[in-house]
Amino acid sequence: MSAPVLQVLDAGLSATLQDQGRPGWRRYGVPVGGALDDHAASLANRLLGNPPWSAVLELMLQGARLQAVEDVWVAVTGALAGANFPFWRTLKLEKGQQLSFPRAQAGVWTYVAVEGGFAAPLFLDSASTLASAGLGRPVKSGDILCRDSDMPAFPPPGVKARVARFEDQRDYLNPPALRVFPGPQWADFAPEDREALFIQPWHTGPHSSRVGYRLEGEATIPPPPGQMISEPVRLGTIQVPESGRPIVLLRDGPTVGGYAKIGLVHPEDLSWLVQCRPGQEIMFRPA
Amino acid sequence: MHRECVFGVELAPWLANPARMRWLPYGPDALLIYFADGIGEEAFRRGRALAAALEKNPPRHLREYVPSFTSVLLEFEPGLPLDGNAIVKRLSNLMEAPAPEPVTREIPVRYDGPDLALVAEHAGLSQAEVVAAHAAPLYKVYILGFSPGFPYLGDLDPRLHTPRQPNPRLRVPAGSVAIGGEHTGIYPVAGPGGWNLIGRTDFTLFDPAAARGDNFRLLPGEQVRFVPVS
Repeated sequence: MSAPVLQVLDAGLSATLQDQGRPGWRRYGVPVGGALDDHAASLANRLLGNPPWSAVLELMLQGARLQAVEDVWVAVTGALAGANFPFWRTLKLEKGQQLSFPRAQAGVWTYVAVEGGFAAPLFLDSASTLASAGLGRPVKSGDILCRDSDMPAFPPPGVKARVARFEDQRDYLNPPALRVFPGPQWADFAPEDREALFIQPWHTGPHSSRVGYRLEGEATIPPPPGQMISEPVRLGTIQVPESGRPIVLLRDGPTVGGYAKIGLVHPEDLSWLVQCRPGQEIMFRPA
Repeated sequence: MHRECVFGVELAPWLANPARMRWLPYGPDALLIYFADGIGEEAFRRGRALAAALEKNPPRHLREYVPSFTSVLLEFEPGLPLDGNAIVKRLSNLMEAPAPEPVTREIPVRYDGPDLALVAEHAGLSQAEVVAAHAAPLYKVYILGFSPGFPYLGDLDPRLHTPRQPNPRLRVPAGSVAIGGEHTGIYPVAGPGGWNLIGRTDFTLFDPAAARGDNFRLLPGEQVRFVPVS
């Protein structure tokens, strides 16, 4: 069963329901999907004692406004967006109270979890939205979001509230150097071009999305000559098209591709990468 | 790449040793295995044999496999040691079992797409000749990719190879039968796309609401014949 908990007064720049995605369907051409920053999303669920597969609301940058239609416990993590309430902890909303995210400050993606998780239809085993393929639709202004009332409510006995450990509350303006494994075509790149990946800072470019982030740097990385037969690609792959400007493939990205793959961002470091705002500087280091 | 010669004639490596496969690490918990040199009949057969081996006898701790034209990605549970040589050797042995016979599906097509004339002009053929050439072959479903359930079908009559549109359409209707470069395919869902649209089918390729296991109606390793209808 589901119970209405939050009304979307404004969906902001983008709002979708996401969970851990739908692994196992890529051989049919279905991207894995799921919350881009899996660190922040899973932490929001964990604070509320939700199962790890619970759906959360993923908000992009700014503009969203939500209003409680019932008293409800929530947890908000991820990108700071000028909110006037604390992140990284459980929070009790009284009926009528609002959560608003007026101004992007640090990071890109903000996650809102509710006690019990959001109730959402499953498509191919997952609530993750992939509107381009007809798997769910983005959350729109006016929508009323429900919580899964079959799941235990917060707080469990003996708990008053929960706060994330300090080291888990990330400062997205200061990401660490991200670890990179060699990709399948690593050896086909010239040694100096491989080095260029690690010695210069990169900036996330415009036209980045849930499909992939484009990287811009002073030097470009020429891909190896010749045409490739399309190969399967993984989440976090750094591929290099003819422009020499790398693209990091993300959760709504393609399942196969014909560009040379110079590297793979460490799965645990991708959650830092996705929170880099356009123009923000990132460095890579060998894993 | 290593090649073998017999009396001065170079053999395709896969012919010389059908069990030979190359593999590369793809991150700490995955292998990319190459099972053929080029796209074609042999790659199609070996891909089916490999998929059958992975379905029947998956390596331990395999999470997911993703096939493509001449390679397959194997993703394993993270944090475990991976012996690529042993895994590939075992798969090579399993692939010696005959590949399963491909299922053939007939797909009705109305050849009235907006780019039929363009494809005909590019090929130097009449529209009727394009339709005949497109409906003649038994196509191989090499992979599903680009979007959920989108089949890359080969081998297309070389006369019909047509470059993709310079400016992709923002919305291609679901069921559009199209040509992109050397492949033909069908758009399972509406969305942006740059292939040349030559027809439409009512055949459902992807149904997200169907019962689990019946979501995709055309699978890698199957064959397709297009049947012109009016």
